Amino acid sequence: MSISAPVVSAAERVDERKLVEGIQERFGPGVSISRGEGGISISIALHEAGLLPELSKCLFWEMGCSWGGFVAEEHESHWRLSYVFLASRLGWIEVLLHVPSGAHRIPSISSGVHAADWHEREVEDLFGLSFEGHPRLGDFILHDQVWPEGVAPHRKPHRKTMDVQQTHLRHRPNPDWRPLLVVQDPGAFAMPVGPVYEGGIGESLHFLLETVGEDVVRAIPRLFYNFRAVEKIAEGRSVPEGLLLAERFAATSAFAHSMGFASAIERLRNVEVPERAKRLRVVLAELERLRHHTATITDICGSTALAVAASQASIVEEELLRASCAFSGHRYLFGLNKVGGLSRDFGAMALGRLQRSVNEAAERLHVLEDRLYFTSSFLDRLEDAGVVIPEKARDLNLLGPVGRASGQGHDLRQECAYNEYETYEFEVPRESEGDGYARLRVLFQEAYQSARMITQAIDRLEAGPVLVPEDRGSSGVGMGWVEAPNGAALHWVRLDNSGRIERYHAMTPSFNNWLGFHVAVEEFAFQDFPIILATFGLSATECDR
Amino acid sequence: MSFWFWHGLKNGIRTTQYPVMPDLTVGVTPGRPVKTLFANSQEAERASGICPTGAIVSHGNESAVLLGNCVHCQRCRTSLPQAMDWREDYEWTIGGSDQKEFEALPGAYVRSTHIMVVDAGDCGACLREVKQLNNPFYNMHRLGLFLTATPRAADVLLVVGPVSENMRGPLLKTYEAMPTPKKVIAVGACAISGGVFGHTFMSAGGVGSVLPVDLKVPGDPPPPLAILHGLLVATGRKSPSREESVATVGASA
Amino acid sequence: MVLFFILALLGLVLCKLLGGHSSARALAILSSACSLLMMLSGGAILVGGHAVEIPLWNIAGMGALGLRLDMLSAIFLFTAGLVYLPVSLFAGNLARRRLYGDYPIRNYGMLHFALMISVVVLISADGALTFLIAWECMSILCYLLVNYEQSHRSDTRAAYILLAMGEAGFLAVVVAFLILGRGAADWSFAGLAAAAAQLSNKSAWAVFLLGFFGFGVKAGLVPVNFWLPRSYTAAPPIFVPVLAGVTLNLGFYGILRLNVQLAPPHDPAMGMLALVVGSVSALVGILYATTDNDMKTMLAHSSIENAGIIVTGIGAAMVFSASRDLVPAAIALVAALYHMVNHSVYKTLLFQGTGEIEATTGTREMDRLGGLVRVLPVVSVIFLVGCLSIAAVPPFNGFVSEWLTLQSLLRSAVLASPGVRILFALCGAALALTAALAVTCFVKVYAMSFLGIRRGNWHGHARERAHPPRAAMGYLAVACLLLGVLPTYVVPVLNRAVQPLTGASAAEALVPPFFTATAENRQLPPAFLEDFHNLGAQSGRSWIPGRGLVLLVRGSEQNPVVFAASPAYSLVALVIFLVVAWVVVSRATRKRTLARKELWAGGIPKLLPEMSYTATGFSNPVRVVFQAIFRPNIVEDTRETVAVHFRTAIHRRREETHLVDRLLFHPVGDAINWTARFLAGMHHGRLNAYVAYSVGFLLVLLLLFRLS
Repeated sequence: MSISAPVVSAAERVDERKLVEGIQERFGPGVSISRGEGGISISIALHEAGLLPELSKCLFWEMGCSWGGFVAEEHESHWRLSYVFLASRLGWIEVLLHVPSGAHRIPSISSGVHAADWHEREVEDLFGLSFEGHPRLGDFILHDQVWPEGVAPHRKPHRKTMDVQQTHLRHRPNPDWRPLLVVQDPGAFAMPVGPVYEGGIGESLHFLLETVGEDVVRAIPRLFYNFRAVEKIAEGRSVPEGLLLAERFAATSAFAHSMGFASAIERLRNVEVPERAKRLRVVLAELERLRHHTATITDICGSTALAVAASQASIVEEELLRASCAFSGHRYLFGLNKVGGLSRDFGAMALGRLQRSVNEAAERLHVLEDRLYFTSSFLDRLEDAGVVIPEKARDLNLLGPVGRASGQGHDLRQECAYNEYETYEFEVPRESEGDGYARLRVLFQEAYQSARMITQAIDRLEAGPVLVPEDRGSSGVGMGWVEAPNGAALHWVRLDNSGRIERYHAMTPSFNNWLGFHVAVEEFAFQDFPIILATFGLSATECDR
Repeated sequence: MSFWFWHGLKNGIRTTQYPVMPDLTVGVTPGRPVKTLFANSQEAERASGICPTGAIVSHGNESAVLLGNCVHCQRCRTSLPQAMDWREDYEWTIGGSDQKEFEALPGAYVRSTHIMVVDAGDCGACLREVKQLNNPFYNMHRLGLFLTATPRAADVLLVVGPVSENMRGPLLKTYEAMPTPKKVIAVGACAISGGVFGHTFMSAGGVGSVLPVDLKVPGDPPPPLAILHGLLVATGRKSPSREESVATVGASA
Repeated sequence: MVLFFILALLGLVLCKLLGGHSSARALAILSSACSLLMMLSGGAILVGGHAVEIPLWNIAGMGALGLRLDMLSAIFLFTAGLVYLPVSLFAGNLARRRLYGDYPIRNYGMLHFALMISVVVLISADGALTFLIAWECMSILCYLLVNYEQSHRSDTRAAYILLAMGEAGFLAVVVAFLILGRGAADWSFAGLAAAAAQLSNKSAWAVFLLGFFGFGVKAGLVPVNFWLPRSYTAAPPIFVPVLAGVTLNLGFYGILRLNVQLAPPHDPAMGMLALVVGSVSALVGILYATTDNDMKTMLAHSSIENAGIIVTGIGAAMVFSASRDLVPAAIALVAALYHMVNHSVYKTLLFQGTGEIEATTGTREMDRLGGLVRVLPVVSVIFLVGCLSIAAVPPFNGFVSEWLTLQSLLRSAVLASPGVRILFALCGAALALTAALAVTCFVKVYAMSFLGIRRGNWHGHARERAHPPRAAMGYLAVACLLLGVLPTYVVPVLNRAVQPLTGASAAEALVPPFFTATAENRQLPPAFLEDFHNLGAQSGRSWIPGRGLVLLVRGSEQNPVVFAASPAYSLVALVIFLVVAWVVVSRATRKRTLARKELWAGGIPKLLPEMSYTATGFSNPVRVVFQAIFRPNIVEDTRETVAVHFRTAIHRRREETHLVDRLLFHPVGDAINWTARFLAGMHHGRLNAYVAYSVGFLLVLLLLFRLS
């Protein structure tokens, strides 16, 4: 039931020559273009910081690139700022800016590229850099209500282990703090939701829903209650420890993120993963995607209180979890990825059992889907609820199933293929309505495509090794990308000379999509809030890291 | 809409027999490493070295497991020449602390326990496993266990995650808002010992540094049956695990 | 009575002569004394049963001016006194706390006593001339008093509208009297009543319409009441209770005198018009009250609602008496008068509470209040009594009068025509909706102002702690309770006034004597009495005063049907339940310890005032449901920064035009404007055109003369 809707996104192939020539023509002497390293195809180094906003805007809007992420690194004498864009089917484009250490003001690009809004806020909170022209800095990761100003915990001198003597790090509630409210109406108030979520079991997130009574005029998200500073912990650790951290910060997409990290190191060290490992990685990644989407479907049915459907979907989820455990030894596929392949191999019987379980799960989902589309009371809650129009989705660069339901066709498996995804037959479903119902349809379709791909990958398996020996010594930069169940995820790693992690930055899809969530929830009634939250299926912990 | 009723009936009963009978279905638990006798002491040392959180402690050629620190990375199972012994059970709950024995909730709460779940920086897996307790396989309602959204009506506080610094305040407030008698259960390796995150400026290294913990359910994540076992221990219907190898230590690396 | 006039004049003089503080005290003392006298005289007349006459001087050519207090006047006199007493005490209290503001009190006192005198003269007027003179005086004095704090432009505008509407109403009333008195011997009420019998149908209708809407201005009926919310908001806090409790009643007095007593309705259609106008007023009033956030304006709209209920009762009575069903007419009138008395009492209480809140916090906006129960503990309890009364919750007085009104509407079963019965049913439904909305409105008022956390930036501790007006407000609260619990005593008293109006007595129907005297009762068969005794109608005979059982009886003599309500019994039951519950709870939780912890708000560090529900939010569902009536223009103005996705401020302004304005006055005003513009188009200054106009006009005249 996937409709090939008109796409308002940049999924068409970008011509490399046109891009390079266009940039050089417009920005001439201010830039120098070269080949990038570690997975980056084109690196555009800027000589003056003032060109940054215009260049970003040009790349995003005129050249048809999409936004990837923003990596800030602190070196001894300078800051290395790397803005990553994706040119569809061409590769990654990096806009590189070096800023001397003393300078703390950098032009903001978020007026042109709105998707970069939260990336810049994150760097400001964690590193203390200030971005000129950004509409709202502060109160992001380190909540102003409890953290004092000026704590930049990701800077080099800051120690990661807690020192009891350093009491200035201890937060204290600030009694004079007031939320920065947007609606100026005498009768307006901001209803607080969370952080201990009132809906039963939920992740810790906090929203201030500004309203004048019935519908939400503006939603102010305050996330990062799950912030554990994974990137800071990873500094100075060895690669296997880093891999463990990458796997564990968002465990419902554990395999995808660990695969992203592993591929970053593999790219750094120029390691070629064996064929069997690539195909098994496809099997496991799609298994995870299938299970993740089933879990989201369960949550959607649960949020509308359609109890039988929620139970049925949770049966499928539990079956998939048990199948994963029987296959790999862990319900959530922990501990499988290694740099250079997988940590263990799988026999034909196990693969056959997995195949059967997956087919059964897909069958069940088909039946459930048919039933759900006949339940008008359920569809009424989803239709026209939490609408994100395609223009907004393009504007905010929404990823994953959420973006695809609003007409965005981004899928790294097609645009920037890895693990030989280009040789598999699959479709990427797209809808254009952008409401909860569209998101539900996309989730079902993607689940079926995942089941299809598992079958294809298992059929192609040939005998061979699953791991190549590691080379521990190299240093450098590597970027790994993966289409996680929630969308495109980037892992950027720099190793120092002793092979330890110097900087690790994970750009996760939930981080990107939360920005779009509060756009979706505005102008809807309070009762729709948990339902829209469930249809987005975002993970606060994946965003918070 | 009445087809939902028949649809549900058609699918039959899936609920596990636990706690009346043990559940032996494949896939309900990832299992755990247990005390292993290695060929020589180097193998044992290698086993201790490979564990990222220090859950394997070797004396001579014998390696014991501190389950509270185990994060289920499976390296001791897949990456050693001689793999650690593995047991597929799920009754892992450890009760009490150094100071006192564990006391279960009194009689009135045994068949009607209300649980408040707080996510204090969890990775998502432990929370998901707690959510599975509501599915038809485990169905905790039949055992008198219910979830509540407000601490004012809660008897048991179930905490997942290593207690990130931003959640320390809300977690304390939740605990304060609960009326006595109350029990605190730390679910997952992160909640017991900090897991892979340990003790940093943003992570308290386990619930024990913030609240008095009554029960600990190890695993990363503990399967739903293990969490169920923990809840049954809290109400006194099961007793906590007494195995020697299931002792915990404080902070990890 | 004469004593009253002497005291009032003394008060007037003293206030003017003394200055400042002592003037205020004189005002308080003498005014209280006057009001007590009013109450006493009213009460004496009612209890005694005789009318009192005081002839004044004669005016040549127009007739005698005299005062006559009959039963109807006595009730209004008593009510006026009931209201004036706490007003005087309140004035004295404010004086003691030096809260009069910038305006000299001596002028106020003078006007206050003058108004009192004119009100008494109005109520006791015996002829049209006295009546109209007193009415005009009262009108002008009201304007002066409303305009007392004349520095605010909106206040003066409001007062001006009051004056204009008052004068328009007055003109209508004068014309009504003129039509009525065309064939009369003299201008006394007796003469007018005689003349009324000879009115033609058209004249009777003219008298009715002019009188009803003319008095309706003062009584606060849709569509002529748009001065009311504005004036109530503009008036100083000492004066507003008088506006709501005294002058509003004068409108009803006028309607009752003119349209019910002097020119009784022969056509049921007149009564039906009154019924419909009353119900619509009630509904519109309470809708605007529920969605308003300024306490005074909200109470003004609520006054419109109560006025609507009273007029509904009067309308029902008119329909019944036109159809010769006299007992139901009497019942309806008793209900209306009862509601009038109740309304005066609790509205005064609420307005005084509002004045107190304003004095303490400096604001009347409910969105800015909250948490007042900690700042004003005594006032909050008394205000709660007022809110419960106006929301018609037993055992307070609002319940009895609303119940009686609805019951009297149900008596429409005796009417013959089905169309009329349907109309009664619809009006009854409208009143029921009104009652429900009233509960919503006053729950909002109490909760948003007194409970919850403080939302505004006011600090008012010092001013409150010193002498809250306990006496004045407490007295009213006690009155609310008594009027609610002892209706069996009140109803016979009201009945005395009603009897001359309708010619039938409602007392037998409403308060059958078998509760007071068990032996004889002519209307009910002994078997029925037996049943009632078995039900326990005689219980508590010795120690519950009155055993306030109010009931309506209908049906034949063989099987009478009874609708009953007993506020006294329910009060006793309530007390017993509360005591039992308290005992049970304290026994059951004897061993428990109470731990006081912080408020649970989801784990946020502190629940800020911005995060708590506002009054606007509470009443938003009503606003949304009745959107077709409100038709607001929501102006949303967003200021965006650089980025389209990030808004720094959203300004929302709601503008509403009142329903009546929108449907009636704006079109009329537009029509007048259009006509004026058209006419103005003729005056463009060109001499030739004017000459042409004159010539044309001359031609037309000649033509007309030629043709006729």
